[in-house]
Amino acid sequence: MSKFDIEKVERLAGLKLKEDERERIKRDIDEIINYFDILKEVDTDGIDPLVYTKWTRLTLRNDEVHTGLTLEEIKKNRKLFGNNFFRVRRIIGE
Amino acid sequence: MMDITKLTAYETVKRIKSGEIGVKETLLSYLKKIEEREDLIKTFILIDRDRAIKKAEELDQLEHKEGLLFGLPVAIKDNINVYGYEATAGSKILKGYVSLYDASVVESIKRENGIILGKTNCDEFAMGSSTENSAFFPTRNPVNLEYVPGGSSGGSAACVAAEEVAIAIGSDTGGSIREPAAFCGVVGLKPTYGRVSRYGLIAFASSLDVIGPLSKDVRDAALMLNVIAGFDAHDETTVDIKVDDYLDTLEGNIKGKKIGVIKEVMDFEVQKELKDALESSIQKLKGEGCEILEISIPYLKYALPSYYIIAPSEASSNLARFDGVRYGYESDGAYLREFYENTRTEGFGDEVKRRILIGTFALSEGYFEDYYLKASKVRRIIEMDFENAFEQVDALILPTTATTAFKLNEKKSPLEMYMTDIFTIPVNLAGLPAISVPAGTDKAGLPVGVQLVGKWFEEALLLRIAHHIEE
Repeated sequence: MSKFDIEKVERLAGLKLKEDERERIKRDIDEIINYFDILKEVDTDGIDPLVYTKWTRLTLRNDEVHTGLTLEEIKKNRKLFGNNFFRVRRIIGE
Repeated sequence: MMDITKLTAYETVKRIKSGEIGVKETLLSYLKKIEEREDLIKTFILIDRDRAIKKAEELDQLEHKEGLLFGLPVAIKDNINVYGYEATAGSKILKGYVSLYDASVVESIKRENGIILGKTNCDEFAMGSSTENSAFFPTRNPVNLEYVPGGSSGGSAACVAAEEVAIAIGSDTGGSIREPAAFCGVVGLKPTYGRVSRYGLIAFASSLDVIGPLSKDVRDAALMLNVIAGFDAHDETTVDIKVDDYLDTLEGNIKGKKIGVIKEVMDFEVQKELKDALESSIQKLKGEGCEILEISIPYLKYALPSYYIIAPSEASSNLARFDGVRYGYESDGAYLREFYENTRTEGFGDEVKRRILIGTFALSEGYFEDYYLKASKVRRIIEMDFENAFEQVDALILPTTATTAFKLNEKKSPLEMYMTDIFTIPVNLAGLPAISVPAGTDKAGLPVGVQLVGKWFEEALLLRIAHHIEE
């Protein structure tokens, strides 16, 4: 029994695979996830997870105003609608 | 007549500055090479001849030839933003997206009067080891067209190897600069995490991604690192510590330096010629007065599974932004969710979808502790292994890859493909600097690479040692 419920994960990831694609990809991923089991051999009790290397420091920026992208620039990549909004598909009623 | 495209980047700039060759003359030599070879090798996704020529003409007019890269043609991997050019990262989902700003590294290259010649092909979102995952076309290895150039910065490695450009920029998350450099017979430098700004790099795995050069020799890598290294307020993970003049520190002896040979590397199957190349590099170092020590990285073999949980986890989060609403590929659908799903399913290729799914799974409720958290703890142990090693030695030496380049379309399962990165991935997990240097060829004539790993932020010594072993 595979613990990888592909349809559930697809929903979480915002993907919807075609049936033949799903089968192929699930087969690959099952193999990869099985391979991950080798990590169980490592005793990680009392070990802190490493998310960023030790050199990374959180720093504060000066509270200064900077100019960002202009509407004209943004419009180069997508036509905007109405009062300069992005248009998205219907959300309610699905 | 001298063939300008044979010159190193360093030599090219020197000769341009002395007036021996012109900027436009240099550029045209490279454009001619591109014309001759590009159809076969296909390294570029985008070439802008007109803008490059215009820039070259402007530079030729200048009285004072200033800038570390004055007049030098540079290629940029397509996952890095260059103002006014499409940046696809090798993906259909970003087709049509035009960069509205320069990445910090691009800004630095322009500031030093380098000329951006074009954008190079790569595996989609830098996920791959052969450049076959590009949504557009595969790139071929200039040394032998039947073989892959490696990946994911395959276009950047191939265009330098093919002498289509003087130097190129790539990115390295798990080996994506060093592996293609080794496969194509060029130098590939992955700087310390935090040494070079990632601002403007299309993120794959933010705690691992690093930008670096692919070049004809070690001196050229040092030259480019001089240009791109340093703190950047746009990238909070860059570290504000002294940047050396890497050209200045390149010369000088390495007598008495301690070099570690990692015992566990030989637990893996390594092609004979690569072992031989490693051995002859070790002999060279001995000849230079280095002391060679056997070092243990006990958890080396756990780096690969740890990476293939962490990197896809970060990718699943980073790639959530590609939804078709604001830029790039746009599918259809009556409702928003359907539209998102259609856009993403059609826009992403197989390998990217696989990694998004693996990452989403590893971060999901019920599996987070067993996968993402476990992998991050193993990552800490691997970092500690390297810390211990670097208490005893100044640098480590190991093969860049376990084999030389493989054939295009050679059937490999995703997991087999992941194994390509066994010797490069541990370095990314620890955030260390490393360089791949050409070290001869195998019996089929394919390039062999040797990898050196340095201490955090000690690129100066790393480059100096590399300079001593390069052919």
